[in-house]
Amino acid sequence: MTETALAEQLRLLPEYLGHHLSLTLVALFSGIAVCLPLAVLVTRVKPLQWPVLTVASVAQTIPGLALLALMVPLLGQIGFLPAFIALLLYSMLPILRNTVTGILGVAPDILEAAEGLGMTSGQRLFRVELPLAAPVIIAGIRTATVWVVGSATLSTPVGATSLGNYIFSGLQTQNSTAVLVGCAAAAVLAIALDQLIRLGELAVAGRSRTKGWLAGAGLLFILLSTLILQIPTAKGSAVVVVGAKPFTEQYVLAEALTQRLTQAGLQVENRSSMGSMILFDALTAGHVDCYVDYSGTIWANVMKRQDLPPRADLLEEMKDWLQREHQVLVLGALGFENNYGLAVARHKAEALKLASIQDLTRHAPQMTIGSDFEFFVRPEWTALREAYRLDFREKRTFDPSLMYAAAREGVVDVISAYTTDGRIIEYDLAVLTDPLQALPPYDAVLVLSPAAARRTELVSALEVFDGIIDDGTMRAANKRVDVDGESPAQAARFLLEAVGLSSPAQGRERSDS
Amino acid sequence: MICIQQVSKTFDQGRSFAVQEVDLEVGAGEFVVLLGESGCGKTTLLKMINRLVEPSRGRILVEERDVCRVNPVVLRRGIGYVFQGVGLFPHMTVAENVAVVPRLLNWEPSACRDRVDELLRLTGLSPRTHRDRKPHELSGGQRQRVGLARALAARPRIMLMDEPFGALDPMTRDGLQREFKRLQQTLNLTVVMVTHDMTEALLLADRIAVMKRGILVGTGSPGQVLRSPSHPYIAALMETPRRQADQVESILRSGGEGK
Repeated sequence: MTETALAEQLRLLPEYLGHHLSLTLVALFSGIAVCLPLAVLVTRVKPLQWPVLTVASVAQTIPGLALLALMVPLLGQIGFLPAFIALLLYSMLPILRNTVTGILGVAPDILEAAEGLGMTSGQRLFRVELPLAAPVIIAGIRTATVWVVGSATLSTPVGATSLGNYIFSGLQTQNSTAVLVGCAAAAVLAIALDQLIRLGELAVAGRSRTKGWLAGAGLLFILLSTLILQIPTAKGSAVVVVGAKPFTEQYVLAEALTQRLTQAGLQVENRSSMGSMILFDALTAGHVDCYVDYSGTIWANVMKRQDLPPRADLLEEMKDWLQREHQVLVLGALGFENNYGLAVARHKAEALKLASIQDLTRHAPQMTIGSDFEFFVRPEWTALREAYRLDFREKRTFDPSLMYAAAREGVVDVISAYTTDGRIIEYDLAVLTDPLQALPPYDAVLVLSPAAARRTELVSALEVFDGIIDDGTMRAANKRVDVDGESPAQAARFLLEAVGLSSPAQGRERSDS
Repeated sequence: MICIQQVSKTFDQGRSFAVQEVDLEVGAGEFVVLLGESGCGKTTLLKMINRLVEPSRGRILVEERDVCRVNPVVLRRGIGYVFQGVGLFPHMTVAENVAVVPRLLNWEPSACRDRVDELLRLTGLSPRTHRDRKPHELSGGQRQRVGLARALAARPRIMLMDEPFGALDPMTRDGLQREFKRLQQTLNLTVVMVTHDMTEALLLADRIAVMKRGILVGTGSPGQVLRSPSHPYIAALMETPRRQADQVESILRSGGEGK
């Protein structure tokens, strides 16, 4: 069982590693190309030193994930570019600081000799200062390399594929194999690049041809493998990009869409673990072709509406609005709702006689509420709080995968659960009713970007999803991942089979490899 | 060869002068020693000759050309420069250090190689054993010899030296001083050397120029400054080597028994 789980993860390695490598190498080489001249300038023009190093230090203090996420609104793009810029900024400080330190550390008598012998400023730099500063500069580049390889795993949420795909999806779906494979691959890559640079340094310092050839061969190998690993995804613009937000149901649905599109003979790229708003912007900009969103989410967060019409009216109005404002096509509602609901451990609900959110109002000042990273800043929370006058003692945010266990174990009293989550049944949680209808309905809807909506083969492959997944089926598929430890791909095969969309040929092919 | 005319240098917009209105001429093949206590301006004066420091006033002619009107890089490549710190490049071998200026002047590689061997022999080093060593593998005396070889590499006619033997032990210093004097005479080098060591000045110089607080107080041959100093400060300065010489002589006469 573990062997097949590992094999399944390793099949994804070439794609993830290829993207990770190209992102890392481009960011690093650019970092070196920008920082070396900048550092030299700073040693020549002393007043620049403080501001430049301070800016680089500040960039370094911003947490990697935040820096990456910040790049998305700043650049108005997702994917490679924001990840590249953020990593470039991240690589700057060690290279800049070490280069400046190295150059300023050259002994004054050596500089006097260089000047007294009649070297020009450039000759002094290239023949004396840079060679003498080289060990310190290279140490900086090695630090930057390790940092960039590590931080590149954080580029997954902004839509750039990397080894972070293993880690983010693995953490959400409690797949420790995926997390381990991702971490191990990133660590091995960091060590390999670091040692390669060291080998190159030794080759130059010791004037050793053998080491030089080895380092050169290693670099060539890495560059070539980056190119080769990139080829499958570099094939034209016909590739369909499927997006997913960072939680289990989304991974399963993205996998289901991917399998369906692959069956239809289309080339698919899976961009998992993207932030909710990043994903919608990516769809309207055409960087993502399709994903599953929820009507209430779009209603409250994108359309900024506060009124709540009945479920069917809301859906219709949303469809029209998306088509009119963004030329986004709602291909259909999948059939199930994944609502936000407040859930309490059943024994606690019974003890306190909690059935609806209204019953909670009285107890809230003594209670702690736990939620995912998004909920407390979403308009739904404001609406809910105002409708029921909820005033909790404490609010805590959790990774969605840990939230349910926190409710079961009494770490928090109430959580904002997703109603299709398999763990609600598994962990014996009770979902409170919403008599005032403060929370909108969250019909799962398949949305297509303007460009994707024009591709008939894509539309015909996906329109079969209209109305075929009910709450129970979705919850069962989610449970397979969250509770039974299956991979999203396996759960997606189950889902397709359950709704009668699987092809036996594909099932065989998967189990063979 | 070198003509210093009314040269002054201030580092603080004229509040004080490191060098003040100095006039000095150095003839071709002449060995002039700038003598004085530390801080008297002798090093500043020396560095103005190859424009490592720019004069605030006055002018300096080297081979009839104003140093401030020629390209400083070209000027420096034509003048040998040796100083106490030596400043050998630690990442280069002895041969590469010696060949720095010839390379800057784009000499043929074979010419560079021949010149390196010639210079190592001239400065008392063995090309075979020392050529490929790094500076940190050499003794202090050997390093100073390499520094000398490097300064001589492009056949300069002028050498500027700033306490070149200062950091050496007395035995090594004595040997190198004598070898250098012989070299200077064979190559007919024009030398300006800075030192605060009176004995060194007396033994090496054709002419001694004594400086005090930025001012040139007097010049003269070693014999002149010893026998008939033109300034009380020079007389005071010469007191030390004279007394030491007398003491040494009296020890010799008494058969080496007492003091």
